[in-house]
Amino acid sequence: MELRVERDALADAVVWTARSLPARPPMQVLLGLLLEAGEGGLSVSGFDYEVSSQITVDVTTAESGRVLVPGRLLADIVRSLPAQPVDLRLEGTRVVLTCGAARFTLPTLPVEDYPALPAMPTTAGSLESDVFGAAVAQVALAAGKDDTLPVLTGVRIEIEGEQLTLAATDRYRLAVRTLPWRPEHADLSATALVPARTLADTAKALTSGPEVLLALSTGGAGEGMIGFEGGGRRTTSRLLEGEFPKYRSLLPNESSAIAEVSTAPLVEAAKRVALVAARNAPVRLSFSADGVVLEAGGQDDAQASERLECGWEGEPMSIAFNPQYLLDGLGAVDSDTTTLSFTGPTRPAVLTGKRHQPGDVADYRYLLMPVRLSG
Amino acid sequence: MDYVGRLTAHLPEAVRLLLVKADGSLSIHADDRAYKPLMWMSPPCTTRFGDEVWTVTNKGGEELVVTVHEILSDVSHDLGSDPGLVKDGVEKQLQELLADQCHVLGEGFTLVQREYFTDIGPVDLLCKDAGGAHVLVEIKRHAEIDSVEQLTRYLQRVSTVLGDVQGVLAAQSFKPQAKVLAADRGITCVLVDYDALRGLESNRPTLF
Repeated sequence: MELRVERDALADAVVWTARSLPARPPMQVLLGLLLEAGEGGLSVSGFDYEVSSQITVDVTTAESGRVLVPGRLLADIVRSLPAQPVDLRLEGTRVVLTCGAARFTLPTLPVEDYPALPAMPTTAGSLESDVFGAAVAQVALAAGKDDTLPVLTGVRIEIEGEQLTLAATDRYRLAVRTLPWRPEHADLSATALVPARTLADTAKALTSGPEVLLALSTGGAGEGMIGFEGGGRRTTSRLLEGEFPKYRSLLPNESSAIAEVSTAPLVEAAKRVALVAARNAPVRLSFSADGVVLEAGGQDDAQASERLECGWEGEPMSIAFNPQYLLDGLGAVDSDTTTLSFTGPTRPAVLTGKRHQPGDVADYRYLLMPVRLSG
Repeated sequence: MDYVGRLTAHLPEAVRLLLVKADGSLSIHADDRAYKPLMWMSPPCTTRFGDEVWTVTNKGGEELVVTVHEILSDVSHDLGSDPGLVKDGVEKQLQELLADQCHVLGEGFTLVQREYFTDIGPVDLLCKDAGGAHVLVEIKRHAEIDSVEQLTRYLQRVSTVLGDVQGVLAAQSFKPQAKVLAADRGITCVLVDYDALRGLESNRPTLF
């Protein structure tokens, strides 16, 4: 194998694929990145039996070939190379990398032992990569972070014809986003539960291309696989098993009170007031026709309060939230004005963007469970 | 205070807390730190209490000499026998709670015996499922691959006596490898919520 590649393209490819390499793999070869040079360019692949990533970059190939090199070491090297073309050449069992005056010799791993990457499942449809990236970011933040309930560490993807729905919940909040997309078949109906971290990383990385192809395996139970492709990158991930909570019934259909607040001032006020809230202590919001008062802190501890203008329809009401969860929601709503709909101080609140018409169902909903008000 | 031995050290006159324990050891504390005395003599050692001078001598002939200028307070207590440090108290309590609430482990489960004895050790719970078949339950705080191995050993052992037995591994959390191995061996993993079993409601209400 012998080739020449641009430093930035190589760095991008190697760093992205090396990111998902396992720290303590069951097999030594999984520590490697597979470099394959051929007519299509240079493809770099990494795999940990859960997630596979592959990216293809343009190169000038003098001689095609396959080689498996230690991934993290290669990533560290490539990241620090000067901005000059990089030459890679296989010499016996070692790879020689030269860039300007810098020269590295790397040992190789036995490429014949490397497992075959999972094949890309059947394409289900496509959508703009930036739209997908933004939607995933809005939803993935509500996924559970710990493994006690593995189902909750996933984002549920529901495909119903031309509508794609993403949902995630950690039991304290629930984020749901619906968006249009272009399915391969108009009557396509499918669901998948994708690890939230993998999905968030992938959706972000794929914004480098204009479009994302989504692929789902239709295989039997336990063999579920999802694939993403765009901008020369492709990732496959094993799906999570288990039944996602029936979240639709949690979304209230009606509300007894509605607040409309400018998002940025509310975010700033919540951050300020939350400074005096001890760990896991709530921020209280008291809504009335005069606006909203944010308060945090206890009788004997530091206290803070701040009043904000706010539109309010309903009886005066006090409700308390975990400040971080509230801020996550306000950030994800992605709108100048946030609408908060309530059915009561102990019932979940729904955060949505600006309402255009009463009764509209927002394409993004962030359901947030309030914390009990003490005393 | 003077220490004479492998090295020589001196503590100037000051107000100190002196602990003389039942094993004869002496430790001298200042008004800080939770565990490390300024000077100490570990057992076995003997103390001669003079009017003004206490001398603690150990086997090696090392001496700790305390000159007592004034006694501010002198108290002695008999602490009785030490029940020992219990680190796995939660596991024990989980066993008690699950014994009372077998239905958490599986639909229609009933308890046969706690600490079911086998010649390779006691099994946490022996239950019967809805169909009357025996089920062995191993309870852990955190289930690791070893927990699966342990339950497998019990299952093999008990199956020679009771015939066909099912295995259930109950824990507050599971290592992914433990789950894979358990699934491979047909052992059911049950995630238990300690607070819910104790009837404690979380202070953080959830959506569902």
